[in-house]
Amino acid sequence: MQQKPNPFIPYMSTIKSVADLTSDVKLFNVELDDPTVSDGFNYHPGQFAFLSAYGIGEAPFCLTSAAHRKAGIEFAIRAVGTVTNALHELEEGAKVGIRGPFGNSFPMEDYKGKDIIIIGGGIGMAPLHPVINTIVDHRADYGNLLIINGARSPQDLVFADEFDVWAKASKANVELTVDRGDDDWKGRVALIPDVVVDLNPSPKNTMAIICGPPIMIHFTLIKLKDLGFANDQIVTTLENKMKCGLGKCGRCNIGDKYICVDGPVFTFEQISHFIEQF
Amino acid sequence: MNKITSKKDLASWLDGLMKDKVLIAPAFVDNQSVFKHVANVAEITFDFKNTALSVKEWFFPATEPLFTIHQKDGDTTLEPIDIENEFVLFGIRPCDAKGLKLLDKVFLGAPTDTVYAERRDKTTLVGLSCLEPSPQCFCNSMGTAPNNADDVDIMLTEVVDGYIVEAVTDKGKALLSVAKLSNSKLSVPKIKCPTELQVKNVPEAMKSCFEDDYWARIADRCIHCNICAYVCPVCHCFDIRDYPTSEKTERIRCWDSCQSPGFTCAAGGHTPRPTKASRLRQRFYHKLLYFPERFEDFQCTGCGRCVALCPVNIDIREIITDVPKLGEKSATKA
Amino acid sequence: MMDKNIVKQIRDKAKELLSNGTIKCVLGYETGTDGMNARPAFIYEPEDVDRLIFDNTCTHNLSTYLRDKRENPVAIVVKPCDARAINVLLGERQIEREKVFIIGIVCQEVVQVSWGELSHDAQMRCKICNQHTPVIYDFLIGGPVDESAPKAEPPANVTAMEGKSSGDKVDFWSGQFSKCVRCYACRAVCMGCYCTVCFVDMLDPEWVGIKIATPENQMWNTIRAFHLSGRCIGCGECARVCPVNIPLDLLNMKMEKEVGEHFEFVSGLSSEEPAPLASFLKDESLGIGE
Repeated sequence: MQQKPNPFIPYMSTIKSVADLTSDVKLFNVELDDPTVSDGFNYHPGQFAFLSAYGIGEAPFCLTSAAHRKAGIEFAIRAVGTVTNALHELEEGAKVGIRGPFGNSFPMEDYKGKDIIIIGGGIGMAPLHPVINTIVDHRADYGNLLIINGARSPQDLVFADEFDVWAKASKANVELTVDRGDDDWKGRVALIPDVVVDLNPSPKNTMAIICGPPIMIHFTLIKLKDLGFANDQIVTTLENKMKCGLGKCGRCNIGDKYICVDGPVFTFEQISHFIEQF
Repeated sequence: MNKITSKKDLASWLDGLMKDKVLIAPAFVDNQSVFKHVANVAEITFDFKNTALSVKEWFFPATEPLFTIHQKDGDTTLEPIDIENEFVLFGIRPCDAKGLKLLDKVFLGAPTDTVYAERRDKTTLVGLSCLEPSPQCFCNSMGTAPNNADDVDIMLTEVVDGYIVEAVTDKGKALLSVAKLSNSKLSVPKIKCPTELQVKNVPEAMKSCFEDDYWARIADRCIHCNICAYVCPVCHCFDIRDYPTSEKTERIRCWDSCQSPGFTCAAGGHTPRPTKASRLRQRFYHKLLYFPERFEDFQCTGCGRCVALCPVNIDIREIITDVPKLGEKSATKA
Repeated sequence: MMDKNIVKQIRDKAKELLSNGTIKCVLGYETGTDGMNARPAFIYEPEDVDRLIFDNTCTHNLSTYLRDKRENPVAIVVKPCDARAINVLLGERQIEREKVFIIGIVCQEVVQVSWGELSHDAQMRCKICNQHTPVIYDFLIGGPVDESAPKAEPPANVTAMEGKSSGDKVDFWSGQFSKCVRCYACRAVCMGCYCTVCFVDMLDPEWVGIKIATPENQMWNTIRAFHLSGRCIGCGECARVCPVNIPLDLLNMKMEKEVGEHFEFVSGLSSEEPAPLASFLKDESLGIGE
């Protein structure tokens, strides 16, 4: 009988490339060393994994790559704490560890045939990135795609080099906005909730997927409700302190749920039933 | 017809077990009974009510390495942990044994915590019935009883000059194969705890008193230490961190508690439970509502340790009694 | 064992202060769920003052709650040792004098407190106490006490520990700290431990870390004792609350003895005098190169 693997031990992995996305966000492309593990590592948009900087620690990050593209496992990581700063010190060829994939995923099958609005603020674009690329790569399966992407400044827009790809061939309507422009910025200078109001999307047969700072989600939600979106038409991915990813350490417990096991993807219908509102 | 063993035969049986197994038993140290590795039977105290710390530390230690990271000459390897010994845990009370069964729901549920699972597999539980529950005990109300044998491998009940011996599981029977047992007409008495509580209606009542001032009033005197979480046989929150030395790095798991201020603080500043009242409320909601919703059992075995050891007398029995009344109050308000 | 007169005075004063709106809350004591030992009580309404009691099981130092309640005026019931704690907090500018109405009790003694057991043994701090009247109060309950008895000796257990060899001391404390589970009840109950982020919780830089093991436990407990030196008022609550019976108060009593000898200082007698190890005076002689 094969022994169960210890779920705390990460898979040995190697950094294939590191790219600067903004002044404090880097894109890590990581490969699992063991080909058997690599072949079996199936993940879906919305899921996350723990990345270990050996000797420093481990932290959860959303998987920002779309698995079907088979172009490596990618994480967009902002340097905010001990582990993320340690990861930012690593270069191509460095050994790291991956534990995962964990959590639930966006039900892309259920979104087929619908119009999709993606609303991402800052690093909140990271979990939405594979959703966009799944839709873009299977364009005929989905209706209209509206992407609203906001950031503090033009330099903080995370996947800036993909905007043209998304916008081309009517793949998507990409609306960008910043809190603060600069001399070269010719686009919107507005908060995301106000952009939503300005664009006035119809809720008919539409799903809105939001991710970003809690305050942005809070106000965007209000605007979407004003426009007639029902709670089960609005989806988000929750971010809480997580340590084990297995539903055991208790940190991400909210009500009878563990965000690492029952989430992180939740509709606002589900969130409205949480006894504790974060 | 029950089996019985004399005190002398019990001692030699335990002595014999120590030849190839590690014996963990209650001993009296610094005015307290504690579970520890004993090297001979003389160290064991048979005369104790219950220990301050529960037995969970033998399966879910206060601090343990999850695995070791070796980084040498540019090479990184990961070494899993080996549990070498087999253990006998003697003197476990039914409340603690039930606690282990509840911890199993968390740690053995997929994906299985393999280190915890191996410790459970390699340990035989020899229980000791409680003939005199303490004033703080209320295990009867929490789904077990002072002489409940369901959650151990062997159950002993003290009688005049000996013990009634019940072999509960195959693991227990195997261990008893070398024990000297004889037949007896003595029967296991039914013992009850001094306090009886009605817990059935608590989860439903909790749903309607989440915003009640009650929790802030209790939190007034809570000092937010970790005593209740650490002495509890079923609390299981933990933290993980890497500890490098010059030779290797260990990824260590340590006890943690939802009461500590930084428990939900994320890098980047988001703190979902900033107030003492919200953290105190989380403890009781988790034990009496969330855990039952997920696992169909309360996260409390009525051992009474938190009742006896809370520095400011926050008493879960009082809360269990108060909550249904709060539920009624808000129902009448609505 | 309750003195009915003391209790009546506490209840009457509490009712008066709550009724006339002078204060928002009374920090006092009530009977706990074992029916024998007191527990802290927070009274917000005049009709609830009958919950308040005072007896020799009132061991808690309620001043530890003053910082959390500092937004609004409160009244607090204090024993003489607790009153010294208020002076320490005032001196360290943690609370405002105008917002605290101090109901001082002339205390006889406090007994060992353990849930479910009624003890008749006085606590160590009472055996060496020579200050039965609170040094600071707004309302005093209880008559004057004859303090002419000779100054109390250092506690017997401190002297006994001092008499041990270095090796024995190391063995003793390693054994004790091997039991520590880092519940931090000692810190939580202590009026002097109020740092927003305690050194032991800092992870960047990491001074001690989260490992629950003897070396780390030793660091935690000894550094805490140092941080309290010259500030501890000897309530002994740290030792009472320890779930694994580590005699923590021994460390603190020793430090206070040392501070007393080196600086002729007793903490909490006044809110004006700064604690020797927690203050720097520009014109103080360092005794180096002179």
